[in-house]
Amino acid sequence: MKPKVAILQTDGINCDHELAFAFEKAGGKVEWIHVNQLFSRTKKLLHYQILALPGGFSYGDDILSGKILANELLNKLGSVVEQFISQDTLLIGVCNGFQTLVRMGYLPWRMKPAEDVSLVFNDSGSFQCRWIRLRISDSACVFTRGLVDQIFELPVAHGEGKLITRNKFIQNRILKNHHAVVQYVDQKGLVTYRFPDNPNGSSYAIAGLTDETGRIFGLMPHPERNILPHQHPEWQTENFKHVSCLPIFKNAIAYFS
Amino acid sequence: MITRIEVTPKYPQFPDTEGTGVLSNIHDLGITSVKNVRVVKIFKLEGKFSSPAIHRLTSELLVESIWQDYAINVSVIPEKNVSVIEISRRPGVMDTEIDSILKAISDMGITGVTMVGTGKKYILYGKVSKKNLEIITYKLLVNKTVEHVMKKPEKTLVVGSSRTPTQKVKIRRMTEDELLKLTANRLWLDLSEMKAIQDYFRKGRRDPTDVEIETIAQTWSEHCGHKTFNASLVINGKQKPSLMSRLKEATRKVSRSWCLSVFKDNAGVIVFDKEFAICGKVETHNSPSAIEPYGGAMTGSGGVFRDIAGCGLGAKVIVSTDIFCFAPPDLPEKEVPVGCLHPRRLLKEVVRGVKDYGNRMGIPTNNGSIHFHADWRAKPTVIVGAYGILPRKFVNKKKLKRGDLIITVGGKTGRDGIHGATFSSGSMTDTTESVSSSAVQIGNAIEEKRMFDALLACRDTGLIKYAQDCGGGGYSSAIGEIAEEYGARVQLDQIPVKYPGLASWELWISESQERMIVVIEPRDKKKFIQKCKDYNVAATVLGKITNTKRLELKYDKQIECDLSLDFLHNGCPTTHKLGTYKRKKIPEPSFKEPANYTQLLKKILAHGDICSKEPIVRKYDHEVQGTSAFKPFSGPYRDAPGDASVITPLLGKRRGMAVSHGMIPLYNKIDPYWGSASAIDEAVRNLVSVGVDPEKIALIDNFIWPTPDEVSLGDLDRSVDACVDTASAFGMPFVSGKDSLSSTYVGSDGKIIKIPPTLCISAFAPVLDVYKTVSSYLKSPDNHVFIIGETKQELGGSAYYSLKNNLGNTVPRLNAKKALDAYKKIHRAIAEGAIRSCHDCSEGGMGVSMAEMCFGSYGADIDLLKVPLDGFSSKRADYILFSESNSRFLVEVPAKKKALFKKIMGTATYGEIGWVTPERRLKIRNGKKILIDVSVNELKKAWKEPMQKIFG
Repeated sequence: MKPKVAILQTDGINCDHELAFAFEKAGGKVEWIHVNQLFSRTKKLLHYQILALPGGFSYGDDILSGKILANELLNKLGSVVEQFISQDTLLIGVCNGFQTLVRMGYLPWRMKPAEDVSLVFNDSGSFQCRWIRLRISDSACVFTRGLVDQIFELPVAHGEGKLITRNKFIQNRILKNHHAVVQYVDQKGLVTYRFPDNPNGSSYAIAGLTDETGRIFGLMPHPERNILPHQHPEWQTENFKHVSCLPIFKNAIAYFS
Repeated sequence: MITRIEVTPKYPQFPDTEGTGVLSNIHDLGITSVKNVRVVKIFKLEGKFSSPAIHRLTSELLVESIWQDYAINVSVIPEKNVSVIEISRRPGVMDTEIDSILKAISDMGITGVTMVGTGKKYILYGKVSKKNLEIITYKLLVNKTVEHVMKKPEKTLVVGSSRTPTQKVKIRRMTEDELLKLTANRLWLDLSEMKAIQDYFRKGRRDPTDVEIETIAQTWSEHCGHKTFNASLVINGKQKPSLMSRLKEATRKVSRSWCLSVFKDNAGVIVFDKEFAICGKVETHNSPSAIEPYGGAMTGSGGVFRDIAGCGLGAKVIVSTDIFCFAPPDLPEKEVPVGCLHPRRLLKEVVRGVKDYGNRMGIPTNNGSIHFHADWRAKPTVIVGAYGILPRKFVNKKKLKRGDLIITVGGKTGRDGIHGATFSSGSMTDTTESVSSSAVQIGNAIEEKRMFDALLACRDTGLIKYAQDCGGGGYSSAIGEIAEEYGARVQLDQIPVKYPGLASWELWISESQERMIVVIEPRDKKKFIQKCKDYNVAATVLGKITNTKRLELKYDKQIECDLSLDFLHNGCPTTHKLGTYKRKKIPEPSFKEPANYTQLLKKILAHGDICSKEPIVRKYDHEVQGTSAFKPFSGPYRDAPGDASVITPLLGKRRGMAVSHGMIPLYNKIDPYWGSASAIDEAVRNLVSVGVDPEKIALIDNFIWPTPDEVSLGDLDRSVDACVDTASAFGMPFVSGKDSLSSTYVGSDGKIIKIPPTLCISAFAPVLDVYKTVSSYLKSPDNHVFIIGETKQELGGSAYYSLKNNLGNTVPRLNAKKALDAYKKIHRAIAEGAIRSCHDCSEGGMGVSMAEMCFGSYGADIDLLKVPLDGFSSKRADYILFSESNSRFLVEVPAKKKALFKKIMGTATYGEIGWVTPERRLKIRNGKKILIDVSVNELKKAWKEPMQKIFG
């Protein structure tokens, strides 16, 4: 049986189709779930193995990115999400989904919202849509199994993606305990603070986080937008070898087989 | 009581990025005494609630203590020895954040908050004179149209007033002077039209209500009625068919079986594949953008997206395009006409508007351009386009019948956008900014996005019979159009409002954003409303379709409008217009051949119309939906420009869609015929460059013209002639179009500023297989470089001439038949792999084109002696390099495919001019003389610098 993937939908989420495509291509059975269907209980989260929070501008990113959705999920569905995670399930948030998971206090570990880390306005002061490189670090993360030290190219498209930590102690804990799964690197593959290779000025060039179980994963860049060769900006180049981000999604599906 | 919560970043531990941005803008104004700027966000909560509630709101919702400080009812930053400017939206101007905050408070289970407001405080450090503070406030921070400076706190955040009752307008007894007085600054109709209205009511033996008068004025406005395009014309003394009928006739004659719906729906529709159709629509939003560029650009995007959503039974929006014209960003402040905004601010704010709306909607902004010329200093040109996809079975709207329900979906109605349609039909004056302020509004992309999600779900379950966008003219236009063949009865008191107090005529013609009208079967009412509710979208029944062919509007039980739809739609007297055209003779400049070609090429690459717009493009999400195959910039350094945008709208399928545009307003200043023909050729060339089949191209026209006096109308007539001739010769149909004929500014001193006559041609086509396309950057060393097409001495209106403020007379002409033959061959050569990269020659000629092709990994070495020339009086290298003759391409041909390439090209004109080099240098020689030998990076730097300076 194919693992069932729930793509969460609500006002302003807009990267749902490409995320659904990536999971389908990886072998998942995809269904859209609107938060209203969870409130009315016409759909139940526990019927799914993977919950995916797509990118977009949930509720217009009012107050702060992902804030209103995080507030809604915590206050109105807190126990349902809690119950879902307590089973052996996977949870991924891309871009706005990552911002939501951080503001819910699920990443890098359980915390009250935004107590230890946050995602704030890019150093450039502006939204940036461009392709960047990520290097995968060793961690418990299910989504990046077997991909350690590999470099992937994929686009970012965000205005609030700079990861900040409350203090040095928190920062060290993130690095030491292998929460920083993906980091922005330059052409040589080295972690970088320099714009535009690091598009937002993130602390330690952190682009995404996992929790201690490795079953929750969130990242600012969009792996679901680099699945097919022609999505890459260089696919027309002679002898181009495409490195797809599909393995990230395949790992999630493989977890249930 | 109102509780104020001030929030700001913990500084300097965390940067205040917004403050830094404002500071650099202040320094741009030449005010250097300001040393730092801090920005404070203000939340205002009205109502009765406990202090634990406030504590929860600050700790869980409004503030992130890790990086933000806050204060309640006092200033969060000490305000000693600083200048403080606090602003907020004007009462009634929508702030999208308010709804979100109210929702979040309710999600938390907190009660007692009745209303919410927001505001912003700018704190300026360093000495600022009163005069400079005024400049900073009004040139940078506040737009008086939608915002105001807070002198003291509000007493309440609740907006509303009592309703002005519907009034009779005693038109029957009015004299001509009184009729003119009534129309001035309110209806924007002319005397003959006012008299037609008077006659109608005299015959009916009654006086109209203000609702009826406003309805007629809206329907007959230039914006909605396209009176000039439908006018009977006499040009140079000769009677000619109307402009519109000529364009439609051209499309009919071209007769393409793949056209599914042309000129009748909100967008033009063509075949994509067996199952799907694609549609396109391009709009202008010049008038609102001139006075409130951020809101204007937003609502422009929002409007054109709704055109796609209202195409057929509803389409999904998959591409957005934007094309702007401004005065140069370095225009001296004193040259900005009274009542107009500086082009730098216009540019930044329009970009911000497009970014905020398109990105939030999740619609990729894939294609566009920016043009600069001083003639746009009074009124900019802001063009926004959108494309969509829909199953072919949903292309046609359904027949309606008596009793079908008219439903409004989406946003509520407020006083915003009153008189937008009529206002944009009039010329701009120095008082427009203050008089027309209610005509501008701010968009709410999230409202529109969820509405689209809901409507597509309703469409797929067969619930929609008719979908119509509410744009210019609001409900009056949308329902008036739907009802034309049938009749409609509408209950105005059922319209959901943002705040109480709207008069009936305001409810009816308000242009509040994010609303659409849908018609459904009465039996589907419950299902439809529930489906919308599932997506948090409001749907309200407003009335019914009738068979009376009358427009009947009621408020409660009072009949407030009862008009014959025949009179409404056909009663406007046909406009008769006189035009004259005489070809201007503009002197051809004469100057010495330049000594330093490298310097010259760099200057042309830095030309406003040619330089890289990458810093702007990066602000737009062009990757969302995962469909982008040809991005605005690609290649190993992600900065090589492309010709057309190609997307694959059905993920996982290889079939694509290509979108491009062409527009060269300066050519029209010399000769609108050849300028317009050139615009079509440019749009088509951009598609042909990537490998599109020229037999499958659909065109969209947008005429953005000065207010049509006799001369401008003569120009317009000639432009339409060119459109008809060129489209016919190319065999390409116009499937949609729009005119905006009011880009003239009249100053209080009588000074008139006209924009250059502007024709924007958008082109789109299906792509059979995206893997059989080519991009423009060079692919492999030792491949051969060819030029296709003839180069003529055509530099009139060129970027080269404009470097020294010359216009010239020798505007590029077009031999459409010959061009089409070559285009078909290029298509074949690309499909068969004989061409590895292709770039058309446009602004800046082959010189710029060759440089741009080198923005990949390789350089080129070419010889101008090998370029096929025609009719040169002086074979000067600068003329050859920078001539802008139409129908030319540079192509890269692998050595192995050279014979195949030549075989396919046959008798078409081409010349082998050089080869691709492994070094990243561009070498251009004229026989033995080396003119240019420069590193690609040096050229790139010159090309990138101008916009980096503005956008960082």
